[in-house]
Amino acid sequence: MVMSLFLAELKRSWIQLVRYSSEVIGGMIGTTIIFYGLFLSARYIAGPAFQLGDRLDSIIVGYVLWTLMLFILGDIAGGLQQEARTGTLEQLFLSPYRAPTVFLMRTIASLLLNLAINLGILLLILLLTGSQLRFPPSLVFPLFTVLLGAYGISFAMGAMALILKQVQQLLGVFQFALLFLFTTPVETWTGTARTIGWLLPMAPGAGLLREVMARGAALNWMAWGLSLINGAVYFCVGIFLFQWATQTVKRQGKLGGY
Amino acid sequence: MQVLQAVHLQKFYRAQRKNVAAVQNVSLQISAGEVLAFLGPNGAGKTTTIKIIAGLIVPDAGQVKISGRDPHRDPKALRSIGAVLEGNRNVYWRLTPEENLEYFGVLRGLSQRVARQRSQILLERFDLQDKRRALTQTLSRGMQQKLAIAVALIHDPQLLLLDEPTLGLDVEATENVKRLVREIAAEGRAILLTTHQLDIAEDLSDRVAIINQGEIVVEEPTTDLIRQFSGTAYRIELEQPLDAERFHKLGSLATVVDQLQIHLPDPETLYSVLDILRPLPIVRIEKEQAKLTEIFLKLVREGSV
Repeated sequence: MVMSLFLAELKRSWIQLVRYSSEVIGGMIGTTIIFYGLFLSARYIAGPAFQLGDRLDSIIVGYVLWTLMLFILGDIAGGLQQEARTGTLEQLFLSPYRAPTVFLMRTIASLLLNLAINLGILLLILLLTGSQLRFPPSLVFPLFTVLLGAYGISFAMGAMALILKQVQQLLGVFQFALLFLFTTPVETWTGTARTIGWLLPMAPGAGLLREVMARGAALNWMAWGLSLINGAVYFCVGIFLFQWATQTVKRQGKLGGY
Repeated sequence: MQVLQAVHLQKFYRAQRKNVAAVQNVSLQISAGEVLAFLGPNGAGKTTTIKIIAGLIVPDAGQVKISGRDPHRDPKALRSIGAVLEGNRNVYWRLTPEENLEYFGVLRGLSQRVARQRSQILLERFDLQDKRRALTQTLSRGMQQKLAIAVALIHDPQLLLLDEPTLGLDVEATENVKRLVREIAAEGRAILLTTHQLDIAEDLSDRVAIINQGEIVVEEPTTDLIRQFSGTAYRIELEQPLDAERFHKLGSLATVVDQLQIHLPDPETLYSVLDILRPLPIVRIEKEQAKLTEIFLKLVREGSV
């Protein structure tokens, strides 16, 4: 049953991606150009002696993870706002599948497409900057924990979108907070800051990805276990908040209103 | 068989630090094959009631059962509901009618195979075959509305909620929707219909419920309600003007003659009048019937029966 729903969502995402491919290509090029612009500015400021080495690689990993996060956030929180505005949201809630199931299947279906798009962005950036990242198979483990956290945060923002309806400006500000989470090297922090680093959403997984992809280190399984707990907690909290928000808007009679 | 049973529904909203009643003690029942026209002025509580029935708004009190299941507790109840909601697109404009039907079929719990089969049947039935691969946003408003109704029927629900299904449609599209509603009811589905076009409600409904300020003010079979509010007078329409002799005779029977129309306030005089008119050609004889519009306005203005 849920598999049928997943396949239907995959088909829907694919059709829209192909039919409106110019929007996707525009997004990919825009995202790459922004990074390249930042890269060129940094090189200009630093002068001819510009040598970032694995720091550049670390920043690229953080940036691409951030764009992946923005796609997921757009799928859930942005999608909810869009559907409320166009008037299809209530039809989704008339499904015998519960709303979190529908939205989870929807985002997992588009994850495959989002991953492909982000790989495209990553390759473009590598080509432009000459950076050389490593892609060991073990990267899927920290990537998984980052995705768990990303879904959790997106569902929490989706909950806010359901209740407040107008969250575009908030989402805009929130995106920069996320950039901080993905690009700050929390794995190098020490003492109390290190503990805080473990508690921040997605940051432990992003740190591990930087270790593995930019610095060529082996995966620290102990650290991965902690990042898995971090991702799982944020995921569960996000789903809980979303479920709570759907019940709240149904009580307030504000589900479809925009 | 009763498909919908909504009992003592209550919903209050908080507005300006006050509890405002949107729906109070509303009870509705609809049997299989029956069309209930649910009428009321703007803000009377129609949409809130419909959304409570669909499980989209949680009531403060009362209970909804659709084929014995509560949509607020048992998600399986939603398998029995199809809805076209007012002010909503209801379907994805970036998908084609065929893609919309297949997607919503699966979303409503069908397998991919069954959703595809049902889509083909509905495309054919709703006369959308030629447009099945056109983007929904390029279709006419009438076709979009037909598609929304088809999508609401994709999972073969027993209850169909139609909130203003003819709003903004031209005459031909309105007639199409009316024909479809009749057919869908004839298949044995229960239909809850809201509309501001009361002639449509009069044409289509078996029963009428009128809601005002959150409370049901009347709920009766449509024909009974119209009979109740209709007088006993008759009206006769003639093909040609009366001659002076007949005019004089009719005057003595307390009728009112207005050019080609004769108004008979006392029904007992009908056959005497017909004797006087013989053998003049008559266009029509009819009992003066109240229109649902007049009844609606009377009840809503009074605020109660």
